[in-house]
Amino acid sequence: MIYQPTANENMKGDIEEQMEQSESSHGEEDDGPTIAKRAKPEVVKEMEGILRPVKLSRGELYKPPTAEELNQLKEAESLFHCSLLKMQMEELLKEVALSVRRKQQIDSFVQNVTELLKTVPQTPVVELSDLSWLSGGVKVPFLLVPKAAKGKFHMAPPISVNIIGSYPLGTCTKPGISVDVAVTIPADVLHPKDALNQRYPRKRALYLAGLAHHLSSSSAIGTMQYSCLHGNRLRPLLLLSPPGKENSGFTLRLHACPPPGFFKPSRFHPQRNNVRTEWYTGLRSSQTGAVEPPTPHYNSSVLGDMLPAAHLQFLAAVHSQCSAFTDGVALLKVWLRQRQLDQGAGCFSGFLGSMLLAYLLTSHRVSSTMTAYQLLRNSLHFLASNNLTENGISLARDPDSTAPSLAEFHSVFQVVFVDPSGHLNMCADMTACTYKWVQHEAAQSLQFWDDPTVDGFHALLMTPKPMIRTADHVFQLCGLAQLQASCKKLNLLNELMDHSGNYILTVLPFILSLLQRGLGERVRLLTHSLLPDPEWSVESEAPKHKVQPHLSFGLLLNPEQAVSVLERGPPADSAKAAEFRQLWGSLSELRRFQDGAITEAVVWEGETSCQKRLVPHQVIKHLLQLHADIPESCVRYVGGMLDSVIKVGEVCSTGEEESLKVVQSYDDLSRKLWRLEGLPLSITSVQGAHSALRYTQVFPPVPVKLDYTFFHRDKTSKCLVPLEDKPCPVYITPIKVICHMEGSGKWPHDRVAIRHIKAAFHISLGELLTQQHHYTCQPSATHLDVWKDGFAFRIQVAYHREPQVLRESLSPEGLLIVRDNEEAQALEMATIHQPFLTSTLHGLQQLHPCFGAVCRLAKRWLGAQLFSDVISEDTADLLVASLFLQPAPFTPPGSPQVGFLRFLHLVSCFDWRNNPLVVNLNGQLTAADYTEIKNDFIASRESLPVMFIATPKDKKVSFWTKLSPSVQRARTISQLKLKVKMLQRVVLVAAESLKVLEHQLMDASQIQDIRVVMRPPLDAYDVLIHLQPRQVPLLNHAVDKPHVTFSRGVLNVGVPKTGQAMPVVDFSPVACYLAELRDAFGDLAVFFCDPYGGTVIAVLWKPKAFHPVPFKTSQMVARRVEVTGEEAHTVPNVEAILEDFRIMGQGLVKSVDLRTERWVV
Amino acid sequence: MAPSNAKHASQACIISGGFTVLSLQFSTESTAQHNIFVKEHRVRAEKTTHRPLDRTLFVLNIPPYCSESVIRELFSQFGPVQSVELREKPGSSENATSKLAKYFTTAQKQGFVVGYIVFQKATSIAAAKSHPHNVPLVVSTEQQPVWTGLKKWIHQYKQSIVQTDKLQEAVDAFMQDYDQRKNEEAKRQKKQAEEQQEDEEGWVKVTRGKGGAKARPHSEVANQKALQKETRKRKRKELINFYTWQHRNTQKEHIAELRKKFEEDKQRIALLRAQRKFRPY
Repeated sequence: MIYQPTANENMKGDIEEQMEQSESSHGEEDDGPTIAKRAKPEVVKEMEGILRPVKLSRGELYKPPTAEELNQLKEAESLFHCSLLKMQMEELLKEVALSVRRKQQIDSFVQNVTELLKTVPQTPVVELSDLSWLSGGVKVPFLLVPKAAKGKFHMAPPISVNIIGSYPLGTCTKPGISVDVAVTIPADVLHPKDALNQRYPRKRALYLAGLAHHLSSSSAIGTMQYSCLHGNRLRPLLLLSPPGKENSGFTLRLHACPPPGFFKPSRFHPQRNNVRTEWYTGLRSSQTGAVEPPTPHYNSSVLGDMLPAAHLQFLAAVHSQCSAFTDGVALLKVWLRQRQLDQGAGCFSGFLGSMLLAYLLTSHRVSSTMTAYQLLRNSLHFLASNNLTENGISLARDPDSTAPSLAEFHSVFQVVFVDPSGHLNMCADMTACTYKWVQHEAAQSLQFWDDPTVDGFHALLMTPKPMIRTADHVFQLCGLAQLQASCKKLNLLNELMDHSGNYILTVLPFILSLLQRGLGERVRLLTHSLLPDPEWSVESEAPKHKVQPHLSFGLLLNPEQAVSVLERGPPADSAKAAEFRQLWGSLSELRRFQDGAITEAVVWEGETSCQKRLVPHQVIKHLLQLHADIPESCVRYVGGMLDSVIKVGEVCSTGEEESLKVVQSYDDLSRKLWRLEGLPLSITSVQGAHSALRYTQVFPPVPVKLDYTFFHRDKTSKCLVPLEDKPCPVYITPIKVICHMEGSGKWPHDRVAIRHIKAAFHISLGELLTQQHHYTCQPSATHLDVWKDGFAFRIQVAYHREPQVLRESLSPEGLLIVRDNEEAQALEMATIHQPFLTSTLHGLQQLHPCFGAVCRLAKRWLGAQLFSDVISEDTADLLVASLFLQPAPFTPPGSPQVGFLRFLHLVSCFDWRNNPLVVNLNGQLTAADYTEIKNDFIASRESLPVMFIATPKDKKVSFWTKLSPSVQRARTISQLKLKVKMLQRVVLVAAESLKVLEHQLMDASQIQDIRVVMRPPLDAYDVLIHLQPRQVPLLNHAVDKPHVTFSRGVLNVGVPKTGQAMPVVDFSPVACYLAELRDAFGDLAVFFCDPYGGTVIAVLWKPKAFHPVPFKTSQMVARRVEVTGEEAHTVPNVEAILEDFRIMGQGLVKSVDLRTERWVV
Repeated sequence: MAPSNAKHASQACIISGGFTVLSLQFSTESTAQHNIFVKEHRVRAEKTTHRPLDRTLFVLNIPPYCSESVIRELFSQFGPVQSVELREKPGSSENATSKLAKYFTTAQKQGFVVGYIVFQKATSIAAAKSHPHNVPLVVSTEQQPVWTGLKKWIHQYKQSIVQTDKLQEAVDAFMQDYDQRKNEEAKRQKKQAEEQQEDEEGWVKVTRGKGGAKARPHSEVANQKALQKETRKRKRKELINFYTWQHRNTQKEHIAELRKKFEEDKQRIALLRAQRKFRPY
């Protein structure tokens, strides 16, 4: 396709404008009025903020197209998934581009500064170490280590002041606009030998300090700060911002540069030495003939100062050839920034991005007629498929003979990308890990870019990827001063000298390779945070290296290998054994395996999967201690900090083992059901329909052994009954199992008769299970409870034609009509959809071992924040499933923590109003289905639930999030509004929780209490009903562990036996109370409670219900009459209602706390 | 909760609509009272006999802890009560489910209800309507305490335990009845079918069939299926892109589709821009 800049200009116009233009370009019958007419509904739509189906008249749809329109449509179809992506990118570019006004501001400020710089006064020549000429509190932005330095220095006005970098190219983007200005130091200040022993960098710093000193007296400058380029302390910068408002939106970065060609580039060959050991250490070396080590990083930092002007020239030349260059770079920059790759030490900066595009253009990998979209795509493709850590690339066309070869670059640098001069490696500071990270991101982006089911634009360019939400596990090195010791331990003096004493950057590559070796297959990717560029005031000393808060590392785990507790090494007699022993030290031991091999091996601790997930922590701790002298206290591992919230029992476990036990017991029951003999009809399927059977029950049931003296025993049925004077007995969850019976002509075709037959099946199933397997069974009309292994299973018999029977009715004319109704829907939900969901999610758990844990964390949070009724259990499971099924732009979560963070992000960011959430279970939905779902959704948005979740079995209705039937019947606008408000609140709280939690996890200096996000803000509610802790059965699961515990009739010793009295199943006073309250006062108030051990019920009045209304027979619930004249009005009888709260909860309610500051009676 | 009109303190409080306001409190210690509203039952067409118009009192806003027996007890102070019927909403009575065993009735909502109290004497209505507003009815007394809260839930739990043999009996009884009905139905149908057979002389006796007498009722689904089959058949016979005009039409459709999509996307973008959704950071 041919890129047309004019067309692009058109697109950049306003949408209305564009409409007019495209209209006029078709321009046959168009005139003013029609446009005005059509523009109007557009405005109305925007006001309401809801998408509506587009209706075009026949005439408009089928009018003959012009060639231009045809081209445009075809281009959109072939280049992009749809014109949407194209338009989205254009909108995005508009957002990041600088406005004309801003450009004017920048230009005038640069002008001012240039004028000022020209008036820098001359100072007398002094010794380099003499700083007396620098008065007025301005400090030198340089760490003077070692102190001594030879040379002379004086200030002089710069030869020239030039704008360099992205601004003149037009690739500068919002936000954080920085305009680079190169200030050329006069040649007489420098000496040709200054490249040696940091003399030049020091002079440069002094020169900047001199400039700062001069500028500090001027009123044209707002604030002045020092920084350094990409964390390189040898290359300080002076940041200037204009006076006036604090954040005027842009900063000027002054670089001090030598005059062009002042130093010979060949001096900075990566193999040459420019920092003498003798000078650096201050010790006279004993052997005079020793070869000095090369100082490649030092060399490239000096060299980098000499080339910016040349680079600008080069890029400008490329830019002039390719019209989409600017936009391409801007998109690439946004992409990099969202991945936090573009700032800090060793970053993949926007400059590198431009250079990469220039490389692709000059090497004809992309054509200069391509669009920005294609440029971005091709550069990502190049990054993904080329490994610059092994095969570096060079922009030099015909390098001179003194330029080093690629191999020479590779021998000293980890990543190689040579600039046009052929002398400088632009990726000198980048670690191999950073490049791998870029590569990984690029590969991933390409993967979902083509997927029509993913919102590619959003995932690609709009979703921020902070490390804590990207990496499965994160660990931080705190107390970076400790790394000095590691330098010693690893014997890195030469490298330290090369990095001029920056021990963090010196040690980093070594730590990374050590960890890479040790973690091996456990991790897919090891990343590290790029140390941010420090900024400090011109009046303070340059900060020490250790002031950096911490260095974060992110691990992307391999779910299978990461949890293995065994590190199997080479056979004892092989050559590699010594290497293995060296790596692992004393932990390595000889072990004999079942296959007879005797090998070196390391065994880590880990019983439960919660402990096993933290094996990488043990590995890292051990390796860092052993090889880098970094003590355990310096390693802050963020991987399992949230586990304590869903801890089950006393042992360190997050419930995977308990869930497994439940599933095993269920499997056994299911087998036994299949084999039952003597049933009149055979069983066709046994399906679990409970969250415990898909590993997502927040606190999975644990087998209990009961203390029979704690209960009353019902004489006739041999069932236990709770006693009034004892605390509420332990809550035994009924685990729902659906048992489908074979279809047969004997089944009656009548709804009531089917119910009776099912009851009969419950009885006979119970009898058979008791006879053949000695389980205790308790049948009822609706289900059969089976007490087995300390679990209570609730079996429900189902008949596949029953929903159909419920839907059928006879019309008066004798016509059989089928009408959908709630009863049938509820039955289908219970007997078809829930079992299906359970088995599907069970499958998902097998694929992603931490799926269950993420669900449990998510549901624990929902419960703790009192939102259990806003987002039901099944819905929450589906939301989490969507994180695993459609993780773009991330990888599927590899730890509960990261999954939970992404859940919070999803809840807080998803635009429920305009988008359906499609959960592609089993991958059954195709792209066509997605479009269909979207269109259906837009067509009938108003009548659909607030949260719309589509699954393969449910493309139109979203039955998982539909209002409960009783609510739906009384569905009014206020009901819906309430639902919307509640969801808004969930969104709000989720966003806040996410913020707090990420802060807690990433900031070591904060008080560590991640339970903060689990404590609901109660000040939003009108009435709080406090409950008696002794009657709250799940008290032990409360977010904050209770001080007192109550005996709940459970024995701690022994295993539960089969064939005893039926325990108290599914008895929770709190649930009973809530149900009664909602039945009685559901029209007047909303009730919230944490189902997992919450001792408070929060009540929110419905404001609508409190307006006085005329007397009406049908709306008299809990109201009293106020007679004013002839009219009788009714208002809620608040005092009586509050009294009822106490009466209805007798024995359970401790106190009713009226928060009358929020309302008056 | 002061009565709204203090001057009629010791009199009955009557409001528009003909309702008398009575106050009701849970126990003697209660501090707050509910208003319940009573009126003689009066509808134009009462079909059933068990709500005689002259003896039935219609009561609104009965709190959830008042069961039928409690209401019976409360209102027996106005005269002997014949029956009490509590319902979620006012309306004509229906007792279709009443013959089902208790195991098979669906659970009732435990909210505020309306009641129809049938007294044995018509005079009791007047007595109830003239009850003074400031003398509250007391639900739970020492002699006859009403259980709420924990006690009630434990009691409910106990009640929910089903005795297997009783349940079996109920099922058997119902199924026997059901089978009998089915049998009779089948017999009748068979008889009808026989009647429609030709007799020896070749005559068919045509009778006026009862409702549902047809051998297989016409169903909506069957009708639709037949229709669909027809259209499918027609479609299969059609040739696509055979004539030039057909081809042109397809192309036209395609462009229209693209146009429509373009418009939709444009709308979407406009909306997103209005919401400032293109700020990447």
